[in-house]
Order: sequence, then C-alpha cells, then structure tokens
Amino acid sequence: MIGNLAIVLFDGLAFGMLLFVLSVGLSVTLGLMNFVNLAHGAFAMLGGYATVVATRELGLPFLWSLPVAFIVAALVSVAFERTLFRRLYRAGELNQVLFTIGLVFVAAASAAYVFGTAQQPIELPEFLRGVTEFAGFRFGSYRIFLIVVALVITGLLVLGLEYTRFGAQVRAAVDNQRAAQGLGIDVDSVFAMTFALGSGLAGLGGALAIEMVGLDPSFGFHYLVYMMIVVSVGGLGSIAGSFVAASLLGVADVAGKYFVPELGAFMIYLVMVVILFMRPQGLIGKR
Amino acid sequence: MADALLQLENVRAGYGEAVVLDGVSLTVPQGGSLAVLGRNGVGKTTLLLTIMGFVDLMQGSVSFRGQDISRLAPHRRARAGLGWVPQERDIFASLTVEENLTATARAGRWNLDGVYSLFPRLRERRSNMGNQLSGGEQQMLAIARTLMTNPSILILDEPLEGLAPIIVEELIAKIGAMASEEGMALVLVEQHAEVALGLTEQAIVIERGVVAHAARSADLLNDQATLDRYVGLNLVEN
Repeated sequence: MIGNLAIVLFDGLAFGMLLFVLSVGLSVTLGLMNFVNLAHGAFAMLGGYATVVATRELGLPFLWSLPVAFIVAALVSVAFERTLFRRLYRAGELNQVLFTIGLVFVAAASAAYVFGTAQQPIELPEFLRGVTEFAGFRFGSYRIFLIVVALVITGLLVLGLEYTRFGAQVRAAVDNQRAAQGLGIDVDSVFAMTFALGSGLAGLGGALAIEMVGLDPSFGFHYLVYMMIVVSVGGLGSIAGSFVAASLLGVADVAGKYFVPELGAFMIYLVMVVILFMRPQGLIGKR
Repeated sequence: MADALLQLENVRAGYGEAVVLDGVSLTVPQGGSLAVLGRNGVGKTTLLLTIMGFVDLMQGSVSFRGQDISRLAPHRRARAGLGWVPQERDIFASLTVEENLTATARAGRWNLDGVYSLFPRLRERRSNMGNQLSGGEQQMLAIARTLMTNPSILILDEPLEGLAPIIVEELIAKIGAMASEEGMALVLVEQHAEVALGLTEQAIVIERGVVAHAARSADLLNDQATLDRYVGLNLVEN
C-alpha cells in the first residue's frame, strides 16, 4: 500500500509537471497580457509534431529535438501574434475566444492532413527508457526526466521574471502599459517576446507529452481543457500558482484513476470544482 | 526658433471625435522652463499626453530638437529624451522601488546614487514594493524614475496634487534646483499657479483648448487680474 502510494504520488507528480510545462505559458499570456489564447494547445501540438519530424525525418536525437520544438512553436506563435493576435488585444474576450478556437480547428485539420489521424510514435534514447530503481521502488526513467526538466524550467522562469531587467520590464508593462511606454519600454516587443516564450514552452510541453500521453490531431483540443483547469486553479499570471495547481491536479488525476477507478478521469474536475468553490481567484491568483 | 528644444505648432488633438486642443503652439528652449496653467478640464493633461504621443494628433506638429516627432511612438519619444512624469504617478506596483528606478533607466548623469541622494527616503524604501508607498514617496519615485531615463526635458503633470504641505515644499525645492542648477528643461502643469510661476521662466494659460495668454512667469505672477480670470482661486487659496 505504501509502495503503491509512493508510485502514485511519483507518477502523479510527473503528469503534473507535464501539465505545468504545457500550461505555464497560457497562464502568462492570459494573466499578464489579458489575451485569451485558446490556440495555446495548438502550439503545444505543433511542438509535438516538430519533434516527430526532427527525430524521424531529420534524424536528430530526441534531446536535440526538444529545443527544436520550443523554437518552432515560439517562431510560429510570434508570427501569428504580429499579424493576427495583436489586432484582437482590444477586441473583447468573445472575439479572442472565437478566433483562437478557430485556429485550433484549423491546426487539427492541418495535422490530420499532413500526418494522418494515427498516434505518432517516438524513439527515446536508451537512458530515458525503462525504470530506475531507488530505495526498493521502480521509477519510470522518463518520468524522472520530466520532473527534472520542469523544475529547471520553473527555476529559469522565476529567475528570469523576478531578477532580470527584462522580467522587470514585463511586469512594468503589465502593471501599467501607458506609463511603461512613456518611460521608453517598447511594450509591443516585450509582449511579443513574452508570448513567444509562453508558446515555446507549450511546444516543449507538446514534445515531452508524446511519450506519456501520445500525439494525434486532437491534442490541441484535448489538452486545452487540462491547460485551462491548471490556469484557473493556479490563478491567472502566477507561475507558482500554475506549478502548485499542476502538481495537485496531476496527483489527483493519477490517484483517482488508481484508487477510485469508478470515478476515473472525473477526479480532476472534482478537485477543480472544490478548489474554485473555496478560492474563485485560484490558489495564488491576484484577481 | 533655432535653439528650440520642444516646439508645438498649431496642435489640434483629442480623443476620437472629441477635440480637446485646437490650435496650441508653444516653444521650450534648451534648458528653458514653461508653466502650463488653467482650470481643471481645459486640456492641460491632454497637452502633455499629446507631447508624449498618447493622444490622436489631428493637425499641427510636435518637434523635439528640430526633428518632427508627430508620428513617433511614445516609447521612442521617451528614448529621445522626453521625460514625462504622469499625473497619476503610475508607479509599477509589482516592482520594488529600486526596480521601478532601474527597469527603464538609461545611461547618463542620473544613476541610482544620484536619485537616492536627491530623495534619501527612496533609499530607505528601496526594497518596498511600489504599492507600499505614501503619496509623497510615490511622487518622489515617479520623478526619480523619470530622471533615471536621463531626459533632456522634464514634463511634470501636477506633481504637487494631493500631497502634504511639508512634502510639497521639499519637492518644490528639488524641482527648482533641478531647473536652475542642472539646467534641465521643464514643462510644469500645476494647479498652484504661484508655485508653478515661481519655478519657471515662461508661462501659458490654457482655456477651452487654446492658449489664452502667454507671458513671462514673473510678469504673470504680478498680474492678478489675468490670474483671477483664467486660473481662479488657486493663488489666493495657497
């Protein structure tokens, strides 16, 4: 029983870390820039397919395909931001939702057209396969890798946003756009870079997700739901909130499926409803 | 004028359909100072927002150092040397005092040491968040934050509004020293006409979107009839 609990906690945490990498960019663009970007899931899917192409067609090792996934998703997202999304910043939430959910449909259809509707397999390097034994427990090597990557990303994000001048400019631009411009901050560029960073992380998340949950053209829709739950439970614009919420939801999901199989996949929604009842602004949300 | 630092010519500006300024011209020479007076709601803040590029310019031009900046984005005007201190102070709440100062700083005469010795209280509060300051401290921070961008002209929008008298005196002394000793050009919008006129060389009075009166500040200070007519009670009150 104790052993099962440890494994469930570990697997839940690993799933939570995956949710975190997928969602944290959405938390930033939604919370900081007030832009409802439902296409975030599509950028995650794009990163996944970028990794598939990079490893299978170009023969890149899996680890090298991860930065490729980040860069492809970041670049494509910034192209969309410059040409399309920025026109919607003042357009109201409904317009943003309609436009970006439309993009998810387009992305799903495009992915099905190019790659087909089947799950995309991926080749992992030797050291990420199998299990690692520790204190008598057998932990999935890939899950350990996932947790380490997510912790590194969290550290870099917090450092970057809290302790660099660029981070201070992002926060300033969010606090008061007009004052930031009047003091010489190029708010458009700052937002574009922030947006690219968030989407790049989604792309990285999409690449990391393939081994754990698979990749097919419905990924953008399927995981959008999880992303929205993480962001709303964690609180808009809070990196720490997304981290806590993703961990909690990951563990709840795995534990629910393991211990209460009758509830199955419903557990994650139950946790969301309970938390939002108690804290409508999310765990660490500012508003 | 050859040595004009900031020049507005026949500026017509407003928000969408609403014209707030209709034919405003003014000139601030290098190192010069200008008080902008007028009752509430006559367009003084809109004038400053037009200079910074936040308001639709419908006609006329804004030039800075002889360059037409009418179409320049606000952040480029700030980088060119326009040092705007907004009326609401607009301190960045999620930045510390020191981050407020450094996030937009540009190299030049003013640095952290410089603004901390100008406003020692900011040094004591350096690790506080921007939203944990009193009104006076916020105003000091707003001015110091703009100084850190090393502007060639300081554009102050009612810097004394809502502050305790003792803070007002301190700020007046510091702004005066900056204009006279540092040779920093100054545009000062202020309800307290007497204070604004004491700190500046030239003055304009705005009334219904036009410059209704222009004079040397010292002359206007003695022209009680004009002041009563355009500015109202503020001189008597203080």
